[in-house]
Amino acid sequence: MVILISFDIDGTLEVGDPPGVLTMDMVRMVAKKGFLIGSCSDRPMSGQQAIWDRHEIPVDFVVSKQMLPEVKAKFEADVYYHIGDREDLDKKYALEAGFEFLWPHEAIEMPWFLSDDNP
Amino acid sequence: MTTQNAPASFYRTTEGLGVWPHKGKVAAVGIGHSPTARRWDGTPENTMGANSILALRRAIEDAGVSPDQIDGLVIDPVTTTGAHWEAGDPIPMDIVNAYNPTDDPLDGIAKLSCEWLLKNMPELTNVKFTMYGTGCMSHAIVVAAQAVGDGLTNTCLVLKSWHNLEGRYNQAGVSAAENVSGSYAVGPGRTIWGPPGCFGTALQFAEYCRKYGKSHDMMAPFMANSRRNGLLFPEGYWAQHRPEQLTPEDYLAARWIAKPASLFDNDIPVMVSGAYLFTTAERAKDMKQKPVYILNHASSRGTARSLTPTLDEIQAETGSTGRKIFEGAGITADDLSFENMYDGFALFHQFHIEGLGYRGMKFGDALDFYQTDISIEGPNPVLPSGGNIGSGRSRFWMHTDCIQQLQGRAGARSVTGVKPETAVSGGPMPMGGNFTVWSASPD
Repeated sequence: MVILISFDIDGTLEVGDPPGVLTMDMVRMVAKKGFLIGSCSDRPMSGQQAIWDRHEIPVDFVVSKQMLPEVKAKFEADVYYHIGDREDLDKKYALEAGFEFLWPHEAIEMPWFLSDDNP
Repeated sequence: MTTQNAPASFYRTTEGLGVWPHKGKVAAVGIGHSPTARRWDGTPENTMGANSILALRRAIEDAGVSPDQIDGLVIDPVTTTGAHWEAGDPIPMDIVNAYNPTDDPLDGIAKLSCEWLLKNMPELTNVKFTMYGTGCMSHAIVVAAQAVGDGLTNTCLVLKSWHNLEGRYNQAGVSAAENVSGSYAVGPGRTIWGPPGCFGTALQFAEYCRKYGKSHDMMAPFMANSRRNGLLFPEGYWAQHRPEQLTPEDYLAARWIAKPASLFDNDIPVMVSGAYLFTTAERAKDMKQKPVYILNHASSRGTARSLTPTLDEIQAETGSTGRKIFEGAGITADDLSFENMYDGFALFHQFHIEGLGYRGMKFGDALDFYQTDISIEGPNPVLPSGGNIGSGRSRFWMHTDCIQQLQGRAGARSVTGVKPETAVSGGPMPMGGNFTVWSASPD
């Protein structure tokens, strides 16, 4: 099963401003498991890419907030998730693009973020 | 001491006033800034008031004067970026009482008075003149310049501070109320239709593009140039916290806020304070930094026929502002080494510089001009400060940059394609603002 996860940054990831509850290690974990991952943020795309480069996490996409439909069109997956902290800018855009939506506190409960040693 | 707003007689709002009587007789010498932050962290040492004291002390030290030489203080008492202290929200009295408070516990946290500053800067023993210039540093500067010129103060500190709190910009306070009384909804920056603050500018920009056959994409070089300059501004938010270039690709991929105004056409609200020390040209000669002389100040007080100014009204007003600026300084547009007009919203910067006729520009020319070399290394620098887009919403980077450039203290941001001799800065709005002409020479 192919799962694609789009991460918001600010308020969602630990490197965001404000910091969110999802750690970069969690992102590494799903990347290692073969998920399609990337970020969808109001930060400039080059700035998003710089964050991933700085943490040595290869990503499949970096897009601006309104570009989730393009992500869905470009990548074939069985399920598409967007994780974010804003009703208007994350949940709304995600649902309109046909993504499942998770708040950060919901996302950390997902089994993807558990290591194989501790499933 | 109760501080008043400046009287109407302080402002040069009409054409035909001739050369400013105090041309070259008032100088900026010292500069001080606090660090920037996205929002207040809730600590007493990082309040807006603390930032203000720090910036003022740095300006005094930078000028190399003793605090007892300061006899004037001009500030903007309104410090909100759009963040409001909600009625009923508990006030942290431990933080209030960490300073010498005034009768208003939010003084020094979410607003600022000269009285609060004087209570908390005991070294300012000789301040006899205080006055307010509300809205932004551009306003405080013209008030201070006129006060020094008129002899109401000899050595005067000028301050603009900003507080930013948790929550979203302009989503609280009256903006979140069910009912809005009075005329607030039709005030500047507001509309009764409910769209974002940049809506009016977006409408004017759309009409500008239609009239002259231009496009929003043509703003990309200006935006990249502004952020580049901002990243060379060590006092600024982006340089201090997120040193990321904004590429044309980034800009063009941003979502619309009010089409054709995108996310990056809006500036980022931050906490920061900035201060300058103004004095008489005579006294400035003995101070630590090179004086930067004020050749003129001019103010725009345009009124629109309806709720949102039309492009025609904007252009009439910026044209008039340009003429007032040059008339009072006794110069022409050809004398400008560079310009630092306001940019927060980015989509109205071209209205300001076309009104000036910067580098021979006519209405409709600016976006084509942006496709040429507008860098600090070139012969036609546009906004070398980077403005609010380059360093966050302070509304004072443009003034700091003018002073630093003319003092030879702009560091990596120094203009090299022109000799920095005369510059103009000011804003905010094309239909209303305050503007200053700066010069390395008093003549």
